[in-house]
Amino acid sequence: MSIAIDGPLADAAEIRAAMEFYAGQGWTDGLPVVPVTESSLSEFLAATSRDPEEVLFAVPHLNRECTVRLAAINAAMAGCRPEYFPVVVAAWEAIAREPYPKRGIWQSTTGTAPLLIVNGPVRGQIGLNSQGNVFGSGFRANATIGRAIRLACISVFGLHPHQPDQAAQGTLAKYSACIAENEEESPWAPLHVEYGLDPADSAVTALVIRSCVHMESRHTRAPEQLALGLANTIRRTGALIHETSSALVVLGPEHAQAFAEAGWGKGDVRQAIDDRAVNSRAELAAVGKEAISRHTRWRVPASHPDAIGDRASQGDTPDRVPALISPTAILIAVAGARNADVSTVIETFGVRGDAPSSIARVEGAGG
Amino acid sequence: MTVREKLLNPTGSGKDTGSGSLAPWPASLRGLTVGLLGTTKPNAEVLLAEIAAELKDRYDIGELRPYTKDYFGTPVKADLLDQIAADCDLVITAVGDCGSCSAATVADGILFERAGVPAVSVVSDSFLLPARAMARIQGFPGFEFIAVRHPVASLGATELRERVQDVLPDVLRIIGAAA
Repeated sequence: MSIAIDGPLADAAEIRAAMEFYAGQGWTDGLPVVPVTESSLSEFLAATSRDPEEVLFAVPHLNRECTVRLAAINAAMAGCRPEYFPVVVAAWEAIAREPYPKRGIWQSTTGTAPLLIVNGPVRGQIGLNSQGNVFGSGFRANATIGRAIRLACISVFGLHPHQPDQAAQGTLAKYSACIAENEEESPWAPLHVEYGLDPADSAVTALVIRSCVHMESRHTRAPEQLALGLANTIRRTGALIHETSSALVVLGPEHAQAFAEAGWGKGDVRQAIDDRAVNSRAELAAVGKEAISRHTRWRVPASHPDAIGDRASQGDTPDRVPALISPTAILIAVAGARNADVSTVIETFGVRGDAPSSIARVEGAGG
Repeated sequence: MTVREKLLNPTGSGKDTGSGSLAPWPASLRGLTVGLLGTTKPNAEVLLAEIAAELKDRYDIGELRPYTKDYFGTPVKADLLDQIAADCDLVITAVGDCGSCSAATVADGILFERAGVPAVSVVSDSFLLPARAMARIQGFPGFEFIAVRHPVASLGATELRERVQDVLPDVLRIIGAAA
């Protein structure tokens, strides 16, 4: 038996008809979207000082560009509230600064997704979750801001799966991937401050990500052991595609505190992981990844027609093959609940080796 | 109080991309300079060399000129496109065997055709859909390209030769030569 509530009245058939129309057009991620009209759109456009026709991100080879107006339509369809929209705008600016999205990575079989990391006061202002279940569901701002990007990828850039989007398997993050940093329980400066912004600024960092793997370590607080667990998770041979890898390490607050109590800063953690993220030549040969291809520098067997030696093979210790090019191939953020020693290693796409330029300030959300 | 309005279209639209017609084909392959544009993907150069060797065997073509793109996932940059168009009478580009590079390889063929140079784009047949989607995006939905059996990247030399033999009749047909 259904129970009627004293809430708003609705014409369910009309709402469904609109949703069916959107689904029939192929303008969704498979889930229902919120119908958008000029008057509802105007609330989103009023939340930013940007010109509706300003281009936030263009992909010339797809002959498509995302304007502020298109970003707003897709944000509204994704279920965002208008006050989330400045974060969506900053997210597109951050994505535009990331090298891979404009180079066709979202058409790639590798099946990556954009991950957004939000810092600063806007987190509290719009209710972004940075604590327990940070990668999970249940928080509207996280869910819909990430989804605003996905819907625009599909509709604005035409990145429909099985068509230009050729992800062999993709990732669950392709529905939505937006987290906030748990600055309050981090022992270190937040991500955006590390990269030159003011703590009172709000900012979005965009990364291109692939798999997410948990790193469990509940019964030791020895920083060297924690670093080794993270390093082994990064260097695992199944994950290696390029000559070297890169990673975002999302430390749970307890792991971050354990490092900090030992006197380690983020730089020490990065260095310790880099020192330990090393495969032997034999381990790589056992999975057919001991050499690299001539131009793309993807890992291949030494017997491959295009095989050449990797960087490590030219050095003094050719049997010791680092999985990272330098400590700066690792980004560190702190998120999650302070209730268990759980962290996550997220593979990011692209050899970093320097600070990410893919960070953008959120308009009007300062302290 | 209820106000009904039209729903808004969330899709992007592109600029006019140019013509959907082919460059004029030369009457004969004799003495032609053939550009071989590698996408950087593993085995691309080996595949191109095999195709070129078959052409050399059959026809009195001229010089073979190898070129390499700087990145496989996006279309050829304007300066390399201009250089190849200036130096070559015909271009073969391979191989698009991934999501982005299959589309880019087809886009390259269309760009060469528009620059007046007949082109053969080679992709692997797992990527027919994105390759055709790119031809539509580029405003040339009927653009014909070669699809070799997937995979390419993991093959040895003998298997690559077999792949080339499989598609050679199509290559010859596209370049207007008798098999």
